[in-house]
Amino acid sequence: MERRQFIKVLGLSSLFLHGWLRDLFAAQGPVVAVAQGTDHAGITRKALSALGGMQRFVKPGQTVVVKPNIGWDRTPEYAATTNPVVVRTLVEECLKAGAKKVKVFDRTCNDPRRCYASSGIEAALKGMKNVEVKHLEEERFKNVALNGKVLKEWELYGEAVSADVYINVPVAKHHGLSRLTLGMKNVMGIMGGNRGSIHKNIDQALADVNAAFRPHLTLIDATRILTAHGPQGGNLADVKVLNQVIASTDIVAADAYATTLFGLKPADIAVTRAAYRRGLGEMNLDRMRIVRV
Amino acid sequence: MKKVTTPRISQLLFLALFLVLFLATEYRGSDRIVAAVNGFFRANPLTAASTMLAARSYLPLLLPGLIVLVAALFLGRFFCGWICPLGTILDLVTGRIRKVGAIRALTGRAKYWLLLPLLSSSLLGVNLAGLLDPIALLLRALTFFFHPLFGDTVRGGWRSLYGLMGERRDLLDPGYRLLRDYLLPFRETLYPLAFFSALLFVLILFLERYERRAWCRRLCPLGTLLGLVSRLGPLRRTPAKLCADCRACRERCPTSFDQELLQTEECILCMECALHCPSRRVRFRFAGPRPQVGPVMERRVFLGGVVGGVVLARGFRFRDPAAQAKLLRPPGVRDEDEFLKKCVRCGECMKVCLRSALYPAFFQAGAEGLYTPLLLPRLGYCEYNCTLCGQVCPTGAIPDLPREEKQRQVIGKAAFDKNHCLPFAKRIDCIVCEEHCPIPGKAIRSERVELTGFDGVKRTVQQPYVVDELCNGCGICENVCPLEGKAAIEVFRVKDRTPLTPSSPAAPPPGDSYTDPYAGNS
Ligand code: SF4
Ligand code: SF4
Repeated sequence: MERRQFIKVLGLSSLFLHGWLRDLFAAQGPVVAVAQGTDHAGITRKALSALGGMQRFVKPGQTVVVKPNIGWDRTPEYAATTNPVVVRTLVEECLKAGAKKVKVFDRTCNDPRRCYASSGIEAALKGMKNVEVKHLEEERFKNVALNGKVLKEWELYGEAVSADVYINVPVAKHHGLSRLTLGMKNVMGIMGGNRGSIHKNIDQALADVNAAFRPHLTLIDATRILTAHGPQGGNLADVKVLNQVIASTDIVAADAYATTLFGLKPADIAVTRAAYRRGLGEMNLDRMRIVRV
Repeated sequence: MKKVTTPRISQLLFLALFLVLFLATEYRGSDRIVAAVNGFFRANPLTAASTMLAARSYLPLLLPGLIVLVAALFLGRFFCGWICPLGTILDLVTGRIRKVGAIRALTGRAKYWLLLPLLSSSLLGVNLAGLLDPIALLLRALTFFFHPLFGDTVRGGWRSLYGLMGERRDLLDPGYRLLRDYLLPFRETLYPLAFFSALLFVLILFLERYERRAWCRRLCPLGTLLGLVSRLGPLRRTPAKLCADCRACRERCPTSFDQELLQTEECILCMECALHCPSRRVRFRFAGPRPQVGPVMERRVFLGGVVGGVVLARGFRFRDPAAQAKLLRPPGVRDEDEFLKKCVRCGECMKVCLRSALYPAFFQAGAEGLYTPLLLPRLGYCEYNCTLCGQVCPTGAIPDLPREEKQRQVIGKAAFDKNHCLPFAKRIDCIVCEEHCPIPGKAIRSERVELTGFDGVKRTVQQPYVVDELCNGCGICENVCPLEGKAAIEVFRVKDRTPLTPSSPAAPPPGDSYTDPYAGNS
């Protein structure tokens, strides 16, 4: 049996055997790199190299989408949007690894012009060669079959789906309904249509989308976190400066670890639970390899 | 093509300026917008006169308009011949339209019958001049009709190109970007009254069928006002009459020589007669001899006009109480009457509003509120950090407030309709409204309640409620409510629009209480 095939079978059986097989391979659980420091570009690079560096994900000539959270018209210090320094560092690393083009975008909740400007991301990437920071264009949404529990299909953004590499860069923050918004919720930024309508079943709906659309790398910005009045905050009293970034190829593991920064347990977050049950990743902290750098 | 003359160059420059300012009335990444965008209105004497009469006070914003009015005393209707963009457009098209001769009904005192009621109703606090102001007419036709139409067409083409070429369209992207960033409206908004606005504009063009500058000489209230003033001034043309041996002026003059005598209040100072006089007799001179002309208007016209204004002012007062509940005004407007006195219906605020929240009123605000801006939350909402409408409003009807102050202005108050709202009506989660509420302390909060769903399953549902003291009525909740058609939360008008207190105490985190965020960071 070839290695690839072996892994595939393993993966498939883990779906059926639930946690059993996973327990067996606990020692080899997903790697979660946690980097801390006030040099936000530096810790982003450190976390990346702990995972094997950007060249592990990006091959020369590829098109990369880096998807931060630019959802709200807030400046970076409010921790409602992803830290522009983190985003810029990721983009630089992609280019260094030989990316042909890096696209950065998000479907915003407030006016896109204001969000892109206030977040500081537009300015941080301005003038970089082969980098595109564009507002979404309605016509690029494509219906994608999800065959999920609650969502059978949904419109996803074409440029995200067709990218060679997709890097998910959420900011860690509070949310009134799902309690926290982390890696898995960030996928809403490429969802079209009436996103609000999935709130009635948000954990299953998000698990559905994340099951069908998997980022190659998730890097959670916890340089500042928003602890209350999310997802858009607006009060500096709700912001905690943690100077951390968390990176993993396992989106559930990254989310699970980030949850602890809020004094919560991974199982407190319904989205994480739902995703774990479906085998999308690891949520038990003792079954992941947490690498601090 | 006409000969290049100084007035013509000036006209074209001002038309270009008008269009540039029109396109600049858009958010371009900076919180402040160039102050000049409303320049044409602030320098508009009709706006100044009608608004100050209505407000019964001196409005410093409109000082340029007063200056132009005083200038008209010395220089006549130069505004019409050298500046007015609508006049320029008429001059540009009129050559292509065959003339059939003046409309009798319009030749007499008709224009005074328009201007006087407008001014006298202003005195009674009903400022309607903007309805017929040429600059406002033009701007509204552009804002509500031509620009959106242009945007729609280009964008539609760009979209279908995607259908044809798919991702390969990206090759053309730089070109489209230029177009989009400088010429297209950012949003695709359809406006009520768009057709009507365009129709009025086209009608004005249509009048050119009868005579040159028909609108300007026969109807335009701004021109009429300037003409009235210029009669009193010292600038005179000599000879005042057509010369018996030549009469060439008659053919040259676009406005004032349909009779033997120059009609001072119609002369737009285009200088055509002076430039083309075969015997170089024509001079424009200060303190020249005053020609013998009759009174401006008979007493009958004057009195009639004033009475007309009273009728207008009273007759336009009717308002439908039911429509009032949703009559939301732009942020910072606190008193409806004061607002109606100051708003000149120019449409600047609606053009600039970056979330398409503002629309021209039809009859919601009564007939006197025609074309005044209304906020329609289901179509757009007031962006928390935006202050643009106040910045572009030429009369201060919408006050120009710093961001923190504007955020505290009360547009209305939101209220839930529990028969619609999902957590109440269907016992399932939603709170999209809470998520979007921009107030840092959240004016919409929710409480977790244990319920048995209609499917018989016990569950916790988050039921939202509004904190009145924090709600500024921005309307984003109503805008994003995922229900179809009518939202389950709506912003309603309130009489008392006292701004929110500056430091609304941050509320405790809704729902859960969090422990030390560092606690889990072992
Ligand atoms: S209504 Fe609100 S969003 Fe619109 S222009 Fe005014 S301040 Fe800006
Ligand atoms: S409120 Fe709007 S329409 Fe009225 S004068 Fe001000 S900018 Fe013009």
